[in-house]
Amino acid sequence: MEPVRSEFSRGRSTLASLRIAILQFLADPQWLIPSMIAPVVFALVSYELFRGSGPYFLTYAILGAGMMSMWGQTLYGSGWATSQDREFGTLEPTIQSPTPYLYVILGRVLWNVLSGLFGGLIVYVVIVAASGGPPALPDPLGFALLFVFVMLSLASVGVVFAAFYVYTRYAGFIQNIGEFAFYVGTGCMFPVVLLPFWTNPISLVFPPTWGLDALRYLAIPGYRGFGWGFWLDLLGALGTTLAYLAIAGSIFHRVERHVLEEGNLSQY
Amino acid sequence: MSGHSFAIETRGVTRVFDSRKGFLFREVSHTEALKGVDLAVEQGAIFGLLGPNGAGKTTLTKILSTLLLPTGGRALVLGHDVVTDAEWLRPRIGLVLGGERGLYNRISGRENLRYFADLYGLPTAERERRIDEILARVDLSSAADRRVEEYSRGMKQKLHLARGILLRPQVLFLDEPTIGLDPKSARETRKLVRSLVADGVTIFLTTHYMFEAEELCPQLAILSKGRIVARDTVARLRQLVGGDRTLEAEAYGFEDTEVSALRRLPGVSKIIEEEYGPRTRLTLRVRTDEVRPDDVRALLPDHPELEVKERRTSLEDVYLDLVEEEAH
Ligand SMILES: Nc1ncnc2c1ncn2[C@@H]1O[C@H](COP(=O)(O)OP(=O)(O)OP(=O)(O)O)[C@@H](O)[C@H]1O
Ligand SMILES: [Mg+2]
Repeated sequence: MEPVRSEFSRGRSTLASLRIAILQFLADPQWLIPSMIAPVVFALVSYELFRGSGPYFLTYAILGAGMMSMWGQTLYGSGWATSQDREFGTLEPTIQSPTPYLYVILGRVLWNVLSGLFGGLIVYVVIVAASGGPPALPDPLGFALLFVFVMLSLASVGVVFAAFYVYTRYAGFIQNIGEFAFYVGTGCMFPVVLLPFWTNPISLVFPPTWGLDALRYLAIPGYRGFGWGFWLDLLGALGTTLAYLAIAGSIFHRVERHVLEEGNLSQY
Repeated sequence: MSGHSFAIETRGVTRVFDSRKGFLFREVSHTEALKGVDLAVEQGAIFGLLGPNGAGKTTLTKILSTLLLPTGGRALVLGHDVVTDAEWLRPRIGLVLGGERGLYNRISGRENLRYFADLYGLPTAERERRIDEILARVDLSSAADRRVEEYSRGMKQKLHLARGILLRPQVLFLDEPTIGLDPKSARETRKLVRSLVADGVTIFLTTHYMFEAEELCPQLAILSKGRIVARDTVARLRQLVGGDRTLEAEAYGFEDTEVSALRRLPGVSKIIEEEYGPRTRLTLRVRTDEVRPDDVRALLPDHPELEVKERRTSLEDVYLDLVEEEAH
């Protein structure tokens, strides 16, 4: 019998992984309800919080609540899926396949970005409904594009985080510590410039810090964020995102080797 | 290693697990799961690895299928090193770890196969046809579109098998393929395994069940506590333990003098004594035809309730003897 020639490709594996993430979601659509409630709550809280604080409070509220409801999913969604792979025992056959695990993660990241954007959309709709009209956006198209980019930059950090979940079953523990610090530190809710000065260098390690600052420059006339302004913000976001992707590419190889050495793939 | 090309060849493979417990105050435990395993498996054969719990069967299977690195020694599959040539090997080997885990339960069996077909790189043009063909082969066609969580244990096992052969591997690793299956499903699984060999696949199979090894595997090795304690054909393994025939004598206890008398019979190579509640069983391995049940009865005249049976030495006897000897 002729053996089949393997025609695996990274793109195909990424799409297969995206597809299985969607199928698993559709198999359990009751998750839709909690994942819709959170953005609604964030939107209402943020609306109350920023109400009356200047002419662009709506944009502040949308950005704050939007990021709040999206960052978790985007940042940790793929790591969580990996810990599920451990639990289901599917990590072993996946690692045993010719596909590098990174591309399985990328498929899930795409799904997380998509569902994160869906959460963002809910926030937008709720705040617009609460305030009786859309916010004044100087450049709606630029805003939308930059918004998606911020999500992708967040996802690039998520890919690196996911490596920890492959590395060890204790990753969830590490995540819980970092969680709160991360979303305050990157300025998801408040602009980072409001934080004590010493925290800024740490914040700058994360691409969303740059991206969000750029987003506020774009959406809020007269916004005073990082002194270097919009274009350097954008450059910083791009640079840090690329750095995370490069880190992901190089550590995944090593992480896969580490787990083969440890033999802890089926532990959860 | 050698000029002859074996499907699987290992030299002194060892594997140590250091597992840590606790977070701050770490307790390190050190397990030598494999203590130097040498094996050679011919192309196109079914090779059986038999051993009790914890012998290291799964560990060796994972090493050979590139899921675990050995701590020492070297292992070649299809002539390629499992550590350095894993990328080359992965599309050419299949692995079935079996059990309840290892599948996406909330989606259908067919979707599970599609996903892994993509990851394993089954040519896209062939994918659907091949999946249908394999589902039929493992007799899952009618359940293919049901969620895996609704599958019985046996159906999950079949799906594992289906995934293992999706890409028509040249070497297929099966870790206890019939564990937990009812006799009918187990029989079907064994039939499938035999049909794969007819297709030229080399099969490396681990099992607890002697009869399974005896039925399927012309060549086998017995692994005990990380060491190969025997490696041969079933017939020669029987010889190894000292005889093709076994006599069993059962009564309410035997005197030491009686046992020594039996031991002096010509052709008796070994006597194992086991207690069953009030009764004792002596198992005699007999090399020749000279010793008959009546000879045994003649030496044990003081036991009116004596029962003597004669049978062929089974692989199970061989196995128990070998694993026992290791234990002493
Ligand atoms: N990931 C691990 N970490 C620590 N010890 C391990 C690990 N995997 C296996 N071991 C140990 O290695 C030894 C061999 O285990 P293995 O699973 O290979 O045995 P087995 O022959 O497959 O047993 P069974 O018949 O129960 O499946 C056992 O002592 C086991 O506890
Ligand atoms: Mg095992």
